Amino acid sequence: MVKEIERAGLPVVHMCTVTPISMTVGANRIVPTIAIPHPLGNPALEPEEEYKLRKSLVAKALKALTTEVSDQTIFED
Amino acid sequence: MKTLELGYFHIKDIVIGSESKIENGVLYVDEAAVKALVLEDENIKDVHFDVARPGESVRITPVKDVIEPRVKVEGPGGIFPGMVSKVEAVGSGKTYCLKDMAVVTAGKIVGFQEGLIDMSGPGADYTPFSKTINFCVVCEPADFLLATDPTATLPIENAKKPEYEKAVRMAGLKVAAYLGELARNLTPDETETFSTPNLKEGMEMYPDLPRVVYVAMLQTQGLLHDTYVYGVDAKRTLSTMLWPTEIMDGCIVSGNCVSACDKNPTYIHENNPVVHELFKQHGKTLNFVGVIITNENVYLADKQRSSDWAAKLCELLGVDGAIVTQEGFGNPDTDLIMNTVKIEKKGVKTTIVTDEYAGQDGKSQSLADADQLADAVVTGGNANEVIVLPKMDKLIGMLDYVDVIAGSHAGSLREDGSIEAEIQILTSCNNEMGFGKLSAR
Repeated sequence: MVKEIERAGLPVVHMCTVTPISMTVGANRIVPTIAIPHPLGNPALEPEEEYKLRKSLVAKALKALTTEVSDQTIFED
Repeated sequence: MKTLELGYFHIKDIVIGSESKIENGVLYVDEAAVKALVLEDENIKDVHFDVARPGESVRITPVKDVIEPRVKVEGPGGIFPGMVSKVEAVGSGKTYCLKDMAVVTAGKIVGFQEGLIDMSGPGADYTPFSKTINFCVVCEPADFLLATDPTATLPIENAKKPEYEKAVRMAGLKVAAYLGELARNLTPDETETFSTPNLKEGMEMYPDLPRVVYVAMLQTQGLLHDTYVYGVDAKRTLSTMLWPTEIMDGCIVSGNCVSACDKNPTYIHENNPVVHELFKQHGKTLNFVGVIITNENVYLADKQRSSDWAAKLCELLGVDGAIVTQEGFGNPDTDLIMNTVKIEKKGVKTTIVTDEYAGQDGKSQSLADADQLADAVVTGGNANEVIVLPKMDKLIGMLDYVDVIAGSHAGSLREDGSIEAEIQILTSCNNEMGFGKLSAR
């Protein structure tokens, strides 16, 4: 899906836990997430802490979306 | 030198009655005794037992685990250490096994990935457990475990599934240990001995043979996808080493509700085909150094750490070759590829044993991950292949969940009682230790 949307001309950020698979399938902008059963959250955290975590992941994804890349890039920070 | 002798009792039939014994190759089971054993756990409300024989028109579903009864008669420790017996390192002395039979745990589903065993018909060709006489332990969950939401697809309340999984897992292991115990004072039909030299001895004995290690990946994704080693939940472990014979004494047990076709039931750990094949070649074409166990976790950092450790152990041992086996599919394909790439980069030739999810037409990518260094692959076949299983005369368990087992779809169970589904639903048919019958060239 990532590749097809990009082929249509829209930049895509792939948020995922297993970044090696994302690299293998050819995503260009990759944001690592928390864990496979809960990529965008962490049930071990208090709700307020989890909200901060979720917000920071979305912020990171938006930053990745607006960053020019020349090769497959994993946005670690 | 670590030596274990296995004594084999070939079981020709199983009779459920009022006395437990093995006589002339027939296993007699005291129903009241095994019932009491299973009902020790308050999570199980009721249990009934049945026997399924090869060739009979019998369907068993939903199947959880399959276990070979064994008993440790000499040497330290007991069978299934850390689960049924106390924790003590096993793998030496003498162990008796009840061959040609299995304990099969079945009944109301725990997860949605329990499987199906047909004792005859086309399905029987795919599952290896159509060839064993199966003592089926069909469990009924306690009322307090049941889902309160009337729209729930599965019977057990989500939060209580782990308790019920543990109850059914332990029921199977306890029954298998009880049946194995019946052989303790008898003489086996035949024996086989497995010896593993330590590193120094092995290098002195076979200086010219390539040194090969077996890397067994254990399914440890959590949420009912777990494997236990000496009673330890393997997702909380670092990659470590075992004598191959420790596995034969049941130090690894399945607590797994992963897809039926590529699940490694406890039976296949006990009879691990890679271990047995490496023993056959040991001292002839290769020097079997030992077993590295590593896990398949859901955090990327864990995957990186565990595969680093597996590769590091290969490097430390200075082996020439490694065989890597997997359990499950999808993200564990990444663990598989990480292990392979890292071990290859240590200069160790690596072969992987896996299976494929290549779509019903076989045209899709087989694994979720890939790398050019993974250039020696043995496959257990394509799990998405579609099969039609005709109605069987007798059912052990229930058909209520056939449409929700992984590999089936709404309408899989047809009006005439036949089932159309992917072979994924058949227990161990795509086994990734090579225990199944499918492969490809």
